[in-house]
Amino acid sequence: MEKVIIKASHLSKVYSNGVKALDDVSFEIREGEFVVVIGPSGSGKSTLLRSINKLIDLTSGTISIDDEEIQNKKGKGLRLLRRKIAMIFQHYNLVYRLSVIQNVLHGRLGYMSNIKGILGKYSEEDKLNAVELLKEIELSDYIYNRAASLSGGQKQRVGIARAIMQSPKIILCDEPIASLDPSSSKIIMDIIYDMTKRRNITSITNLHQIDVALKYASRIIGLSKGKIVFDGPPGALDNLTIEKIYNTPIKNLIINGEMHNG
Amino acid sequence: MAKIPLIHTREKKIYTIFTVVVIILFAIATVLTKFNPLQVIVSSGEIWNFITTDFLPPTLTKPVNIFNAILTTVCLAISSTFIAGIMAIITAMFGSESISPWPKYAKIIRAVATFLRNIPPLVWAFILFSSLGIGTGVGFIALVISTFAFMTRAFIESIDEISQESTESLLVVGATFPQRIFQAVIPSCIQDFISWFLYCIELNIRASTVVGMVGGGGIGLVLFSYLKTFRYQTAAGIILIIAATIILVDLLTGYLRTRIMQND
Amino acid sequence: MTEIALRAQNIIPSVHVCKKGKIKTKENHQDLDLYIFLMAMVLVSVLSFLPLNINWFKLVSRMPDIGIMFGKLSQLSLHNFDYTLIAFVETVAITILATIYSIFFGIIFGALVSKNFIKNRLVTTLLSSFFTFLRAVPTPVWVLLALVCLGLGPIAGIVGLSVHATAFFARAFSQSFEDVPPEVIEALEVTGANKLQIFFSAILPAAMSMIIAWIGMRFEINFQESAILGMVGAGGIGFAITTSLQGYHYGVAGLAILLVFVYAYCIELLFTTIKKKFIQ
Repeated sequence: MEKVIIKASHLSKVYSNGVKALDDVSFEIREGEFVVVIGPSGSGKSTLLRSINKLIDLTSGTISIDDEEIQNKKGKGLRLLRRKIAMIFQHYNLVYRLSVIQNVLHGRLGYMSNIKGILGKYSEEDKLNAVELLKEIELSDYIYNRAASLSGGQKQRVGIARAIMQSPKIILCDEPIASLDPSSSKIIMDIIYDMTKRRNITSITNLHQIDVALKYASRIIGLSKGKIVFDGPPGALDNLTIEKIYNTPIKNLIINGEMHNG
Repeated sequence: MAKIPLIHTREKKIYTIFTVVVIILFAIATVLTKFNPLQVIVSSGEIWNFITTDFLPPTLTKPVNIFNAILTTVCLAISSTFIAGIMAIITAMFGSESISPWPKYAKIIRAVATFLRNIPPLVWAFILFSSLGIGTGVGFIALVISTFAFMTRAFIESIDEISQESTESLLVVGATFPQRIFQAVIPSCIQDFISWFLYCIELNIRASTVVGMVGGGGIGLVLFSYLKTFRYQTAAGIILIIAATIILVDLLTGYLRTRIMQND
Repeated sequence: MTEIALRAQNIIPSVHVCKKGKIKTKENHQDLDLYIFLMAMVLVSVLSFLPLNINWFKLVSRMPDIGIMFGKLSQLSLHNFDYTLIAFVETVAITILATIYSIFFGIIFGALVSKNFIKNRLVTTLLSSFFTFLRAVPTPVWVLLALVCLGLGPIAGIVGLSVHATAFFARAFSQSFEDVPPEVIEALEVTGANKLQIFFSAILPAAMSMIIAWIGMRFEINFQESAILGMVGAGGIGFAITTSLQGYHYGVAGLAILLVFVYAYCIELLFTTIKKKFIQ
């Protein structure tokens, strides 16, 4: 049995306007799992993901990552924690004026001293790794192009390469394919799956496409109004549960692809 | 037979109310200031005579002095914008909630900048002249303060609009604040910053002239003194020079701004 | 070339190497233009300090006086507040009048400068240049001139303000007029309408929303400028501020400045709400 790498206990988050984004959420994630979180908008998926790397602070509850509690981490401790956790964003979040390889190398900033990071003086080994990564995701021709000139799918690949450069233990993906067309979506999900499997990286992905979730996940967590209403393997996700998650009959949902009938 | 309305009745009501309000305001204002436009028109014949005999032809006595003065005005504008810009960039880093390491203070900084921004440079000039006495240096400070307030607000808006997402990604990578600034914020916002800088130079040439008029030195002061001593012909010449300088600077900064924005 | 760089080039041939043999992270020319420009700007800025005849040490040493000044200003005093209030109202009146007159003349001159209304290029270019000249000179200079020609008092303020504002509106309105699609104008021309009719029936209504936007924007600027022109002697709150500062009544001056700011802020709010309602 693999080691528990993320342990979440009784997480709750209430925003200042009274909205309860997370309500007593608990789970354990082991190394190497490919977890997908599904649920309607406002169910707390984003909040949950961002509380893991402390982009959002919880109202109550504890999270342990690699056996370390993260509540009180700040400053240097927080940075050391964050470089172990990579993140991929729906809108790629690249620095568009810089070149592709510069964006990829940003993944190493957590490991570099202040001055070297400010000036962009990456080590030769890091640059070599970046080059190898770029070749792996098939962006060799674009190495010096400005990030702005790439297509959506290519930009997300750069985002993935940046994440992998961190040598992370965990990778968080916040709706990585929401802005992509079907063909780019498949490429991206395949890359995420391959990279994380080969490097034994634990991943947690937010998706709103149930069919994609079923295809790639080793474990699915279903959130509804801040509570976990499903936590198990994809095979166990039946229509009834889906209806519970989305709070609406199946016929009101667009779900393509294989469906398990329960 | 009732007339067919051409405009929707509700719109018509709004227009009528609006026109009535304007007319009332106009009437009150005219009474208050005792401004009789007819008086202006009647004396316009006199004014025209006055202008043609006393102001024309525009001449320039002591062109060296005048050249120095205009140089001072232009240099004041550029140097004050430069100093204000540097101060504003640093302040904006901390004043933008999206990237500031101390978001609570960011709100305060932003509010203060907005407040200060609404005070025109001339008012600053007067405040400073009262406390420090008149002079080019004091005019410089007045320009710096007013430009600083404007630029801080402008930069904060640029930062919020442009670099929020990319800074977030560097945050989760574990980069330090200075690393985020130099690797994300500055590359993303540099064009905007330069554009604002050039725009403020444009504004400050005018402000510098005006501040000069009340004691800050430069061509404004020269103009003021010539007017006060009734040397209207030279004054006319100076006005032409001022206009020419401003138009030139406008064209230059306009050209540079378009070049910068399309460069990447 | 370092060994690592060689290995990198084996993986991706297009990897560039810098002079020291290290792998490059971007192309050289990428930011060259920008750097050159930045350097030039810094150079010009630094050079601009040289002709200035300023005693920097003395200036810096007197900085704390500014703080003291602020302290005095913030001791707001209601002394002579009625005087301040009257001056304030006078400023508002000046702004309103100047704005109304300049809108009126602005529409007329704007039409005369619009290339799609007046076909004669010579006329439009000449007039346009004239208004550019009027616009380039800052308002206070015009006010000063008006003071010389018309004597002290709000009249000079109104005229001076109107000159600049009219020139501004002429340019702004003509832009809006020229934005009216030519088909609209043609359609009326072929029915035999004369120039005036075309203007009022087609061009003006089409540009109306933009005109209102310009007016809103300019009203705020006009107010700030009229607040200032008192300082050069044309009445209004600017004059009140100067006299109280010169008379060392700092509390009064502080209150007057605050009044200016509050009013400007309210106008800004007012126009943002009006704009929102108009964009229905």
